[in-house]
Amino acid sequence: MTHNIHGTFVSEKINKIRWRPDFMNDSHYFITGSWDNDQNSIKLWDFQENEEDAEVYPFLVTEFCHKGDVTEIKFLNGDFFVTSSSLGSVYLMKISSEHGIEPLIENKISWEGIHKFPNEEISPCTAFATNDNDIVSVGEDGTINLLNSQNQSIFRKFNNADSCSINCVTFLKHSEILTGNLRGQLKIFDIRASKNEPTTIFMLSGDQVAPLCLQHHPTQRHLIMAGDEEGSITIWDLRQNAYPVNLLDAHEGSISEIHFHPDHPNQLFTCSGAGDVWHWSPKSGGMATAGLTAENVWLASETIKNKLDVFTLMPKLHKPINSVDVNRNKVICGCDNEAMYLINGINIFK
Amino acid sequence: METTVKTFIIPNELCRRAGVAASWLSINELGVFGHQKIVSQVDKPSAFAPSDASVFQLRQDIILFKPILRKLVNEANGTFLNVQNLTATASEHKPELLKMSRQYRSIVRACLENLQDEVMRANGDYREELQNYITIFYSVECIWHLCEILFVDAVPGNIVLPHLLDWVRFHFPKYERNAATMLSGDLGGLESHPDYWETVIGSLLQGRIKVARALLKLHSDAETQPFKVVDQCLRAMPVYNMFSGTSVAEFNMQWNHWVVDVQSKIDAKLFISCYNLNLIMKLAVGDEIAWGEIQQYCEAWYELLAAWLFFTQPTVKSFELGQLAKQCITKMSIGNRIKHLDRVLLAAMEFDVLQVIKEVQHMTENGWFVCHLTDLLYHAGRLSDLNVESENFQPEKLRESFLIDYGTLLMGHKSLWQVGLSYLDHCPQDGLEVTKLLLPRLPLDSELRTQKIVREAINRNLPETAQSICKVQGMVCKNRGRLGHALAWALKSQDSAFVSYLADKFLRQYSESGNLTNADLLDNLGSCILASDRLIFLGKYFEFHKLYRAKEYKEAASLLISLLESKIIPNYFWGILLTETVPLLECEEMVFSSTDTFTIMQCLEEREHLKELKDKIALSRLAATRNLARALVHEAQLN
Repeated sequence: MTHNIHGTFVSEKINKIRWRPDFMNDSHYFITGSWDNDQNSIKLWDFQENEEDAEVYPFLVTEFCHKGDVTEIKFLNGDFFVTSSSLGSVYLMKISSEHGIEPLIENKISWEGIHKFPNEEISPCTAFATNDNDIVSVGEDGTINLLNSQNQSIFRKFNNADSCSINCVTFLKHSEILTGNLRGQLKIFDIRASKNEPTTIFMLSGDQVAPLCLQHHPTQRHLIMAGDEEGSITIWDLRQNAYPVNLLDAHEGSISEIHFHPDHPNQLFTCSGAGDVWHWSPKSGGMATAGLTAENVWLASETIKNKLDVFTLMPKLHKPINSVDVNRNKVICGCDNEAMYLINGINIFK
Repeated sequence: METTVKTFIIPNELCRRAGVAASWLSINELGVFGHQKIVSQVDKPSAFAPSDASVFQLRQDIILFKPILRKLVNEANGTFLNVQNLTATASEHKPELLKMSRQYRSIVRACLENLQDEVMRANGDYREELQNYITIFYSVECIWHLCEILFVDAVPGNIVLPHLLDWVRFHFPKYERNAATMLSGDLGGLESHPDYWETVIGSLLQGRIKVARALLKLHSDAETQPFKVVDQCLRAMPVYNMFSGTSVAEFNMQWNHWVVDVQSKIDAKLFISCYNLNLIMKLAVGDEIAWGEIQQYCEAWYELLAAWLFFTQPTVKSFELGQLAKQCITKMSIGNRIKHLDRVLLAAMEFDVLQVIKEVQHMTENGWFVCHLTDLLYHAGRLSDLNVESENFQPEKLRESFLIDYGTLLMGHKSLWQVGLSYLDHCPQDGLEVTKLLLPRLPLDSELRTQKIVREAINRNLPETAQSICKVQGMVCKNRGRLGHALAWALKSQDSAFVSYLADKFLRQYSESGNLTNADLLDNLGSCILASDRLIFLGKYFEFHKLYRAKEYKEAASLLISLLESKIIPNYFWGILLTETVPLLECEEMVFSSTDTFTIMQCLEEREHLKELKDKIALSRLAATRNLARALVHEAQLN
C-alpha cells in the first residue's frame, strides 16, 4: 500500500469531519466540528496538495463558533450544510465564496431548542438525516423533528416517538425514516402517516446493544448497515424482512461511523472507538465472478467474510476515532486525541 | 526547597467580615464562600443577616490548557503511550528509547515554533504571555537535550564531547547563522564585517573548524604567512572520532604532539602580526589568559565548558563533567548569579538525577516536563541505580506520583480527560484507584459523553464504576420526567433496587392515570426483565394488557392467574389486579376454570380489608361465584 498519512493537531476533539462535495474537481476543502470544548467550533480547512512539496499542512480558512457540541454535520450540496448541536438545535449553514474573497461560513437558518425534555430542559440533538432539502432530526428526548432547508418552521414533530434517546436516523425513502435507540430498537416511521407511532419495530440484536450509526447503501436504499457500541456491523435487506442478512464482528471498540465510498458502493469505510480506521473492499478475484452474478457483495450471506479484504488505513490510535469521510482516494478522520488525519492514495480500484 | 504562599483576596464584604471557607467543586476548582463556625446549639438569626451570599469559584490557571499548548499535551501523550508499549514488549529497548526521547524533543520544538509564529502576530499582554511560554519551553528543550545525551543515549566509550558540542550548537545558533550569511555573501575582504572575528572565534569555540577555516580564507590577508600557518595548524588538529579505530591513548598522544607544535609556533611569534590569530592559537593550546579574554563570546557557562573541553580535554568522560562544569562557573564568576536553568544543567552534569527531577518540578509548566522526563529516565533505568540515602526510596513510586499528579490535572479539564486517563492507566499501584475516584466525578453533559465515560470504565474492568455512572444518568433522566429513558439506564446499571423503584413509578402512574406509558420499551425488555421482581411484575402485567387488548382472553386469564399465584404483587396493586378479574369472570366465553376461580376467591378473601376494594368486593364476589358455577357445570360435563 502506498498511501501516506498526514496528521494535524488542532487543540480540540473532533466529533465530525466532512469533505465539501465538489462535483467538478477533487475536493480539497473539508469541515470539522468539535465537541467537549468550552467553546466548540466549526472550521473550514483547505488541504491543497502539491506534487513537489510533501510538507503541506491543512490551512484553516475560516471558523464559526458553534453553541454546544457538534453532533452531526452533513452537506446538502456544495455550499450548504446542516449541523446539529448538543444544545438541542439544528443549523443550516452556508459557505459563501465570492470570487477573490476568502470563503466564509454563515448561519442561514437556526432551529433553536427544538429538542426539549418534558421538564423544559434542553435535550441534545443526537443526529439527523437529510434527503434533498428534507431534514429529520432526532434527540435524547426521543422526539423526531421534520425540517426543510427552505423553511424556518418545523414541519412536523413526533413527540415521544421513543421512550429512550434516539442515537441515529436515516432516510429509507422520501417518506420513510429508520431510527435506532439506546436499547437497540430500530423503528421505521412513515412521516406522512397521521399517527406518531412507528410502522415497524425490530431489534438490532437480542442483547439491547445500542446502534451508534445507520447508513444506507448509496444506490440501493433497502440495504441498511448499523454499527453498534460493541463493534459489530449488522446488515439488513429491508425488502425481505426485519432479520439481518449479515452480522460482522468488526472492531474491538464501538463503531462510530460507517461510510460507503460515494462513487464505488462496494467499498466501505469504518472507524471505531478503539482507534482504528478500516477500509473494506471486495476481494479482487471474488468480484470478477461474484460481481456480475450477485448484485451486491454486502448481501452475500454466509461467505461474505471470504469475499472481503479489510485494510487498516492507519496505525491504531490510542483514542477513539469519531468520524471518517472519503472522497475519491482521500480519507479524512477526526479523533479524540485532538488531531485529524488525512490519508491519501487509498486503493479504490485495485 | 523554597516555599511560597500566594494570597488571593476575595472581594466580598461578607467574606471579609465573617471569614471564608472553601470546598472542592471539581478536580481543579474551589468554591469559596463566607462562612462562620456556629458553636451554639440554639437556632438564631446570624449577626451578618440580612446579607447577600456569594460563592466565588477559584481555579488554577493551567498553561497546558491554552489551545496552543494543547497540541503539545496530546502529541506527547501519543509518544508517552508508545514508550509504555515499547517497554512492556521489547526486552532491549535502549535504542528505541532514544528515538522516543528525540520524538519528545521534536514535539517541544514544534511547540516552540508554533509559539514563535504566534508571537509575531500577537501583541500586548498576550504577547508577553507567549514570550513567557517560549522561555519555559526553551529551557525544557535545553534540559531535555542534555539529559538525553547524559542519561538516555549510550555513548560509545563514554566520550560525550561531540554530543555536547551538538547540544551547544543547537542552542546557540548565532555564530552558525552569521557564518552562513558571511560565506554566502560577497567574497573577499570579510574582515570589514563588524562581527567577523567574533564569528570566527565563535565557530571555533563550537568546534566548527572547517567553518572557521573557510572564514579565514576570505580575509583579505589570507595569502600572508600567518594566515597560512594558522590554516595549516587547524587542518592538522586531531579530532577524536570514536569510529576511526584510534584508541584514546593513541589520540591523546597525537593531540599532545599537536599542542606542542602549536605552542612552539606561538613562542616563535609567528602570529604576532595579527592579534586575533595569535588569540586563536593561544586558545588552541589552552592559554588561560586567552580563555579569560574570550569569555565574552559565550552567553552561558555551558557554552564555555564545551569550547574549553574541545581545546583542552577532547576525550573527557561524562562522569568528569560535574567537576569541570563547576570550574567553568567559577571562571565566569557567575556563581552568585546562577539561574534555575543553570542549576538543573549543573545537576545533570553532576549526574544527580534526583536533583534534576527536583529542580524540574519547580518549572511552571504544570508538571508536563517532570512527568514525561521522569518516566523516560525510569525506563532508561536511570532511577534504579541511584545511591539514595533515604531507605524507602522506590523509583516506581517516584514515577507513579508524577504520573498521577499529571493525569489528575488533565482529568480536571473538560476535553482532556481521556488523555489524563491514559496516564493513570500506567500507574500500576494506585492508578486504578484514582481512576475509580475520578471517573464518576466527570460531569455528564450529554449521552455521547456518558457513553464514552462508561466505555472507559468498562475497558478498565471497573464494572461498579460504570454501573454507578449509569445510575447517575438514570436519575438525571428521571428528574427530566422521562421514566422509560431512566429505566433503560437503570437496566444498564444493573441496580435492582433502582430498577424496582422505577418500575414502581410506572405502576403507580398507571394506578393513578390508567395509562401504561413507554409501551415500546416495556414490550422489548427481553432478558433484562429479570433485573428485579418488580420489573418482572410490570413486564408481565404489561403483557396481560396487551393480550387483553388483543382480545386473547384465554391467554390473558391464565397470565392473570399466574400473577395472582406469584408472590411479586406490590401491595398497592392488589386492588387493581382483583378489579381486572371482574370483566374476565363475566366474559362471554368462559376463561377461568374452577381451580382458577378458587384462586381468585382466596385472594379476594385475603384482601377484603383493602380500602380500594371496599365498594367493589361485593361485585367481585358475585362475579367469582357466577363463574364458579359456570365452570363447575362445564367441568362436570367433561367428566
